[in-house]
Amino acid sequence: MHRSDRTGTDQTAAPVLSIRGLDVTFLGSGKPIHAVRGVDLDVFENEVLGIVGESGSGKSVTALAAAGLLPRNALIEGSIRLNGQEVVGADDDTLRRLRGQDIGVVFQDPSTTLNPLLPVGRQIVEGEIAHGRLASSAGQARAVELLREVDIADPDNRALQYPFQFSGGMRQRAVIAMAMAGRPRVIIADEPTTALDVTVQAQVLALLAERQKQTGAAVVLITHDLGVVAEVAHRVAVMYGGRIVETGTVREIFSQPRHPYTAALLRSAPRIDVTGDRLDPIPGQPPTPTDMPTGCAFHPRCAIGEGRQKCRAEEPPLRILDGTRRSACHYAEEVPPPFRSGSGSVPAIVRPAPVSAPEPLLTVDDLRVHFPIRAGLLKRVVRTVRAADGVSLRVAPGETLGLVGESGCGKTTTGRAIMGLVPTTSGSIRFDGQEIRGLDRTGMRGVRRRMQYVFQDPFSSLNPMLSVGEAIAEPLRIHGLYDEMGGAAWIARLFEMVGLSPSVAHRYPREFSGGQKQRIGIARALSLKPKLLILDEPVASLDVSIQAQVVNLLQDLQRDLKLAYLFIAHDLSVVKHISDRVAVMYLGRVVEEGAKHDVYSAPVHPYTQALLSAVPVVDAATQGRTARIVLEGEIPDPAKPPSGCHFHPRCFRATDRCRTEAPAFAPVPGSPSLAACHHPGAGA
Amino acid sequence: MSGALVAAARVGRRVIAKPGAALSIAFLAGLSTLAACAGLLGFDPLTQDVIRMLEGPSRDFLFGTDELGRDILARVIYGARTSLVTAAGAVLLAASIGVPIGLMAGFFGGWRDVVLMRIVDLLLALPGIMLALAMIAVLGRSQAAALVAVGITGVPTFARVARAQVLTLRRRDFVTAVEAFGATSSYSMFRTILPNSWSPILTQMVVLSSVAILLEAALSFLGVGIPPPTPSWGEMLRTGKEYLHDAPTFAVLPGLALTLTILAFDTIGRALSTVIEGRDTVIAARSDER
Amino acid sequence: MIGFILRRLLHLVPVLLAASALIFFMMYGVPGGPIGALVGENATPEQIAEVTRRFGLDRPVIIQYFDWLWRALNGDLGVSLHSRVPVMQLIGERLPATLQLAAAATVLGLLIGIPIALASALHQGSWLDRILSGWGALALGVPTFWVGILLILLFAVELRLLPAASAYVPFWQSPLGMLRATILPAATLGLYVSGIFARFLRGSLIAELNADYVRTARSKGLSEGVIVARHVMRNALLPFITIVGIMLAGFIGGSVVTEAVFTYPGMGRLVIQAISSRDYPLIQGSILVILAIYILINLMVDVLYVYIDPRIDYD
Repeated sequence: MHRSDRTGTDQTAAPVLSIRGLDVTFLGSGKPIHAVRGVDLDVFENEVLGIVGESGSGKSVTALAAAGLLPRNALIEGSIRLNGQEVVGADDDTLRRLRGQDIGVVFQDPSTTLNPLLPVGRQIVEGEIAHGRLASSAGQARAVELLREVDIADPDNRALQYPFQFSGGMRQRAVIAMAMAGRPRVIIADEPTTALDVTVQAQVLALLAERQKQTGAAVVLITHDLGVVAEVAHRVAVMYGGRIVETGTVREIFSQPRHPYTAALLRSAPRIDVTGDRLDPIPGQPPTPTDMPTGCAFHPRCAIGEGRQKCRAEEPPLRILDGTRRSACHYAEEVPPPFRSGSGSVPAIVRPAPVSAPEPLLTVDDLRVHFPIRAGLLKRVVRTVRAADGVSLRVAPGETLGLVGESGCGKTTTGRAIMGLVPTTSGSIRFDGQEIRGLDRTGMRGVRRRMQYVFQDPFSSLNPMLSVGEAIAEPLRIHGLYDEMGGAAWIARLFEMVGLSPSVAHRYPREFSGGQKQRIGIARALSLKPKLLILDEPVASLDVSIQAQVVNLLQDLQRDLKLAYLFIAHDLSVVKHISDRVAVMYLGRVVEEGAKHDVYSAPVHPYTQALLSAVPVVDAATQGRTARIVLEGEIPDPAKPPSGCHFHPRCFRATDRCRTEAPAFAPVPGSPSLAACHHPGAGA
Repeated sequence: MSGALVAAARVGRRVIAKPGAALSIAFLAGLSTLAACAGLLGFDPLTQDVIRMLEGPSRDFLFGTDELGRDILARVIYGARTSLVTAAGAVLLAASIGVPIGLMAGFFGGWRDVVLMRIVDLLLALPGIMLALAMIAVLGRSQAAALVAVGITGVPTFARVARAQVLTLRRRDFVTAVEAFGATSSYSMFRTILPNSWSPILTQMVVLSSVAILLEAALSFLGVGIPPPTPSWGEMLRTGKEYLHDAPTFAVLPGLALTLTILAFDTIGRALSTVIEGRDTVIAARSDER
Repeated sequence: MIGFILRRLLHLVPVLLAASALIFFMMYGVPGGPIGALVGENATPEQIAEVTRRFGLDRPVIIQYFDWLWRALNGDLGVSLHSRVPVMQLIGERLPATLQLAAAATVLGLLIGIPIALASALHQGSWLDRILSGWGALALGVPTFWVGILLILLFAVELRLLPAASAYVPFWQSPLGMLRATILPAATLGLYVSGIFARFLRGSLIAELNADYVRTARSKGLSEGVIVARHVMRNALLPFITIVGIMLAGFIGGSVVTEAVFTYPGMGRLVIQAISSRDYPLIQGSILVILAIYILINLMVDVLYVYIDPRIDYD
């Protein structure tokens, strides 16, 4: 996937896709929503153009408009020329001919993009048959050929299967095959890997890049993930508030951004290749189309504008700086480089030395959580999902243990089991000197004063019927401690601790943004003054710039309140940023655990090594890295885990022993970390 | 729980903003007022006048007279009282039995869920009217029996709605959160889940009101519902049908009152569902009442 | 597949057992019970005792139930107290009439409902959609007995085209005669059910039209017609089949009122007669048969699913 042989895009040739003055307004029952405001964009043959932006920036709308796929209530103005043919206002026949022939689309969620009731093969070649380029009798053979091109094993049988028989990664491969079937000149890929796990994302990105190179098509890659852009794109367009604010080559954008938003975005993202520094969040919220600031849409959050009159009054045009670089900033020349070297403006975090207590606050030993799946008339147990299958962890007072893994590895189940929210099967959970596994509701009550949980989805974790003040007070009321803990004064203090004004206490959750709700969720978890917080993907549903705000808040609270965190996440960069120690889970088991530095710089378990190498890096300069380990296949069904070491079918070091004997979780000779592997060691 | 009030006020405003729903609410309000004050307004549904029987609409009798010479308009207005009171009683009965069943089945799960929902499914397997007829066969014919019979047919709907709510809400993190704070089962069930279920339950109550009115009228039409001489729309249709040749308005006008009332409840129910769930999910509360 | 059907049929047994027990104990458990119906109001205590003994009503209810159940399993649902004709025979006479009416009404409902749903869903939000949706609400909301009366008023009283009272004419004996005799009750039920079909199918069509896979199909350059026919319809019809099954099954015992309006000789009127004359064996027998047919139709729907939905694997 590395662009070692980066294609020299010939920008003198005519662009295959040319967008001028694109305006998209959604008309509905309420106010019209102006989602895209004057976008100019050229895409050339043989290049990958990344469009980056946070939610609501208008990136997907722009791309879908190019394929003529916006819903009917979208009012489209401006010009979109695809291969010289105007798309805006084109009749249905022209649009149909363009799609599949000149433009193909890969969508975000592979679980819904395919029709569940038709065989995959038929869906792949349907477009070609409809355009009369393929006889339906030849459909099956062509489908097999296309599936083979996207590296799907056993394509003859797979072509006849239905989408539910495909895994997520395979479905996305099939969608790529479908989008490329007609050899289109332009491929729109709308967040193509966002719904996939990181090891599968690596496979799919590699495939997309490879097919792009083979066909010479232009790819428009829409993503919120700066790492993905840095790894795959040649050129980048950054969108904010419905406009393009900056374009340039990927190297230019990442090393010397010319728009303060781009620079701020790069600074706010946690990075897997950089250690230590405090994140530098963008203050405030991204604008919504119904509430767009005057002048430059970014000025309320901008560090360069600093309230200059021109920024507030005048919307800056996207102007040419040099060569292909464009920026929509009045003061583009003043934008500082994104990555501070040594003494940056933001101070590095001064962490207190982890308290070396004789006994950890939380000790989990060989924890098993098995969910029976019952079926049939008599509700017999037909199989067992081993969500956690021998998990061992320790969390010391005041430290953060990061628990990482891909979907289905059991990390959330482990967190919930510790909190007593799911029944456990066996093992031991010791918290604050007490065995808490199997305690009843009454027994857990006392424990829950000292241990609290923060949920992933801020939209679902607050009761819509309670004002946020009542929500924060609810744990106190349940324990009958409201007055004892200080009543209204303590609630007001909690609001201040999470950076909110106590005056908002009477408002209801729906009046708050995602980031604010997450702050409220944290305040609620802190109301009983716990010693340990279990944080389940607390920033996963937030935009990058907001993520940084919440991560910083969590670090401040930990320092001030001497809290211990069990930080559960799939994002290795965030985990690296916040943790003292890290445990990596795979299919119900912890496969490696150690100090952050050791796990990230000298991993010993092959899975950890593959996982780390699969993470895209937010820096175009680090492209000459050692070859990536791209794992084969996907995570197996936790109800039918492989024999022996669960990882052996995907492991590049597997031997016969791995197939039969499960490795013990034990110290690794020559490494400070613990691992569950028969053949631990450095390198691939 | 002022949150519920805030939410209810918001829903109410948006429902009234819909012209059809506003008109329906106005119609039902007018009808209820008329029915409540019928005596004060001088309507007399019972006095017979055999000389003036089966007359068409006239200045004296706006809706004409029935086979015993009684004023059909007065009987339609008193029929509204019978109909609305029986329906309201039936819906309240259905909700007060069905909602707790659904809550418990959904919350506790396991064998309690299986047993409770099997009973509910059994009630659902018989067409509503059959179930009501069977109840009448046991209870005998009276207004109370009609109310109970109609109410029982609504129990499964409320049980299912409440259970579905519990299952949906239990997956929401704020319900798990309450458990994580150390709350008791009854706190989760009655302080967290129930207040968040008010909207679908209310929608069901409105929709089921139209079904209850229809079902009560059907029972009376079949001659097993409200016993005469209490005026009821179904009974009037039953008798009016015999005089289609001589006095067509006799059957047509009470039927119109019945139809408008049913449509009004249905319209409000669908408006509620549209406002609350974003789309109209009401197909028909029990789609087999005939 | 056969295994699946057999297992589902086996599933049926406890349901029918529970239902029959429920009905039996409800009817026989109440004071007065069937004796009152048997002997009339002015019976002497001696007569009552005689009848009680003769019909075995002095035995414990549980014994009576198992006695009844044993006979029912042997195909004997007892004798009607009112007409002294075997219940099985009475049901056998009425069931075909009801099945024919139910089928006619369902077919009519589909013929009206599906085009309305399609037109409405494909032009969502337009004036056409509003009119059709309004029509659907009307079809659903207007009580069938009022519709029936209006139809009689128009076609029988005013135009004198069709009979006011319907008879059962088997389709295979005289298709035209059947049409003439059944068209009014079938139209009454069909109009109503078309409202349900239209409303439901419109909802699922709109949901499917907004599904991601439809956008995918558009991105391949398929025409809207092909997208609707090949992609949307099948997905939308899946939940729709269940509704059609429920409605069809509901008509077996649920068209009581329409049968009464048109004095149609179906199951519904049989039950009404049984209830008004407190003919307990007939009530029980009819309800049991109605329940069994309801469950059988649902089973057929499940079997249909296997053929349409590749995701369902019954083995």
